[in-house]
Amino acid sequence: MNHYKGFGIAVLGAAMLLTVPGAAFAQTKGGDVVVGIVQAPPSLDAHVTTAQAARNVTLHLYETLFARNENAKPVPELAEGVKISDDGKTYVFPIRQGVKFHNGKELDANDVVASLERYRKIGASAPLLNAVDTVRATGPREVTITLKEIQSTFLDNLSSPRAPIAIYPAEEAAKPANQINYIGTGPYRFVEYKPDSHVKIERFDGYVTNPNAKGRDGLAGKKEVFLDSVTFRFMPEAGARNAALEAGEVHFLETVDGPTAKRLQSDKKYAVYKVLPFAFQVIKFNHAQPPASDVNFRLAVQAALDMEEVMAISYPDIYQMDGAWLYPGAAFYTKSNTEKYNQADPEAAKALLAKSGYKGEKLTFIVDNLRANTDTATVVQQRLKDIGINIELSVADWPTVSKLGFTPTGWNFWAHGYGIEPYEGPASVMAPWVNGTSQQKKDGKIDEFYAALTTTMDEGKRKQIFADFQKHMYDNAVAMKAGNYGLFQVSSAKLKNFEPSRIPRMWGVWLAQN
Amino acid sequence: MARFLTKRLAGAFVVLVLVSLMSFSIIWLVPGDPTAAFLDTSATPEQVERLRRELGLDQPIFIQMLEWYGRILQGDLGHSILLNRSVTAAILERLPVTLSLASIALALALLAGISAGIVAAVNHNRWPDQVVMTVALFGLSVPDFWLGIMLILLFAVKLGFFPTGGYVPLGEDPLGWLGSIFMPAMTLAVIQVGFIARMTRASMLEILNQDFIRTADAKGLKRMDIMLRHGLPNALVPVLTVAGIVAGALLGGAVIIEQVFSIPGVGRLIIGGILSRDYPVIQGGLLFLAVIYLAVNLVVDILYAFVDPRVRLE
Repeated sequence: MNHYKGFGIAVLGAAMLLTVPGAAFAQTKGGDVVVGIVQAPPSLDAHVTTAQAARNVTLHLYETLFARNENAKPVPELAEGVKISDDGKTYVFPIRQGVKFHNGKELDANDVVASLERYRKIGASAPLLNAVDTVRATGPREVTITLKEIQSTFLDNLSSPRAPIAIYPAEEAAKPANQINYIGTGPYRFVEYKPDSHVKIERFDGYVTNPNAKGRDGLAGKKEVFLDSVTFRFMPEAGARNAALEAGEVHFLETVDGPTAKRLQSDKKYAVYKVLPFAFQVIKFNHAQPPASDVNFRLAVQAALDMEEVMAISYPDIYQMDGAWLYPGAAFYTKSNTEKYNQADPEAAKALLAKSGYKGEKLTFIVDNLRANTDTATVVQQRLKDIGINIELSVADWPTVSKLGFTPTGWNFWAHGYGIEPYEGPASVMAPWVNGTSQQKKDGKIDEFYAALTTTMDEGKRKQIFADFQKHMYDNAVAMKAGNYGLFQVSSAKLKNFEPSRIPRMWGVWLAQN
Repeated sequence: MARFLTKRLAGAFVVLVLVSLMSFSIIWLVPGDPTAAFLDTSATPEQVERLRRELGLDQPIFIQMLEWYGRILQGDLGHSILLNRSVTAAILERLPVTLSLASIALALALLAGISAGIVAAVNHNRWPDQVVMTVALFGLSVPDFWLGIMLILLFAVKLGFFPTGGYVPLGEDPLGWLGSIFMPAMTLAVIQVGFIARMTRASMLEILNQDFIRTADAKGLKRMDIMLRHGLPNALVPVLTVAGIVAGALLGGAVIIEQVFSIPGVGRLIIGGILSRDYPVIQGGLLFLAVIYLAVNLVVDILYAFVDPRVRLE
């Protein structure tokens, strides 16, 4: 009889186990995941750098008052929420209770004030807080920010991951750039940084999950850590990165080339992910110099190009044809006014070119040595040759090209990606063209759009302003968007529950035992 | 000997001054500055200007050059913009890595190169000679970054003998250190093996045709004795000079190999400095490599003078 009783308990137990979701079973705590990243972060002081390599690490260590959710919308993270005054100039942020820094100290309003003040002084994207008049602690856990003027994008700015407005302990926030101890409230804590080798972070057991978070949600949400530690190895050489993955020394690569991704896709030992869209490919004109100072020349180039050809050659297997100046799914995304995208009409182009002042002189296309960008430049060069435009490529490394490209002479065309701007939203997409920064000649209309977008609180009106901006970009061929491109990311099949995103998130994932 | 040394030291000093001047000037001829590493394309001109001011890049070049010389005369190579620490400290931290890589590569290259050269010379115009010379030609022709990747694929991915990259400090795990350094050192050595083998072979062939070798042979000495006791020591004198050149080339080659094998050495520091226009790192790194190169060549010159008295007389 006892045997039957035991059997009955076993059956009951098995039945209960089967009712538990499968994923909960597989979750295992422990293990060190090694992530292969291309570049070393220039700094782990999140305030002072906009480098992608730094964001990859720092967004595991630090948190912000508001952070972007899966749809890049700002949602509360260290703040419980926000109360905005009727005049739109006062923001009151209640701070979450019980949040701990890695040094054990509890987060309070003074830490937030000190961090925001530091960012205003030395932040790599300090203009994000240009509208701020005062930042005050109005309670032990309450911060009040007053703005000089209405800024509809203020919460977008506060939650920007570009150079995150990370909240540090007040004593760290008092230190100059690059001289802080890396202490935040994030789900991982800093362990070591070996220059030119790796950064190691480990699970912060004192981490307090946002009680309002339902699950993993972009850079906000529930940040549950199963891994003991994560090591970000700096591996500049693509072949060596791939080899390390295949030898089992690395569990995740933030980017792999298309052929390698295809090869590994059929192998059960790996999981291949697409982060698409990751960025726009944009071809810029120098408006300060003829012939691109003439709108007819720019329109001729826009009419001539076959953007599908540009994208298929530059980003084979990982591109989207899309003329909108935001990512699909974004709140302000619209396809209206994009009819002039991807015309591939050489006859129309020749007619427009004839109206311009271009006389066949040699033009300079500057481009950095990233393969996809030189491919874009080469395709554009060949296509424009067909309508009689004579282009010479000038290829150099990124610091050289980016220095030259922000001066009014020495170049006519420049192609590169815009990744973080469309992710941040419409104001960030417009910002590079404000004051003529990217096109080297002020465009009053764009400046007006930008001012209106950032000072109008009504969302419907703001959407219309962005649609008008998009129309202006095409009607005047201010610059040309070629399409959206993505990244292939590859992980070992042992890394479970990973979801691709522009920052490889090491929360919510675990390592399978075998 | 004192005169010889003084002349050599004076020459080295002049070279050093020229190198320091060149390393300062070259980077100013290349466009771009470190702001590109910190800021992205959306940075406003005001942001770029502010960062340039903070980094001291708004000063006239002449002032910057005077400051640079003032500092190096005090043994200070400056402060890295990106690493936010002294360049000297950054170099010294990575120096053991590069030195261990270069010295193991040198030992491997000398061992394999001299042995292969002897085998080729002894078997002049026979098949071992042709095999050695063909392999040496291959070693000289193959690009080191390509060879590095091939070796990683074979020995790390397929066979799993070595790690694919990275570095384990000697003090942490001696066996791990050897495992992490052996394959990059081998890659680095391959090109130099060919060079040393060809030099040793040529030098040996010249010596083997000398009268004293013929005399030794006539005296009835064993062939092996003639080679090792009379031939090799004389043939190695020019190889000593080659070893100096090779040591310098290995330091230069380490720049690429450290990148391929993700080894945190001085070479990778300099490449990172170049890509991010971290001027003090580039200037300090180049000057430092030049000093090592000069020191190695000075030592070789002195040794040469010891083993070959004719050099001193000249």
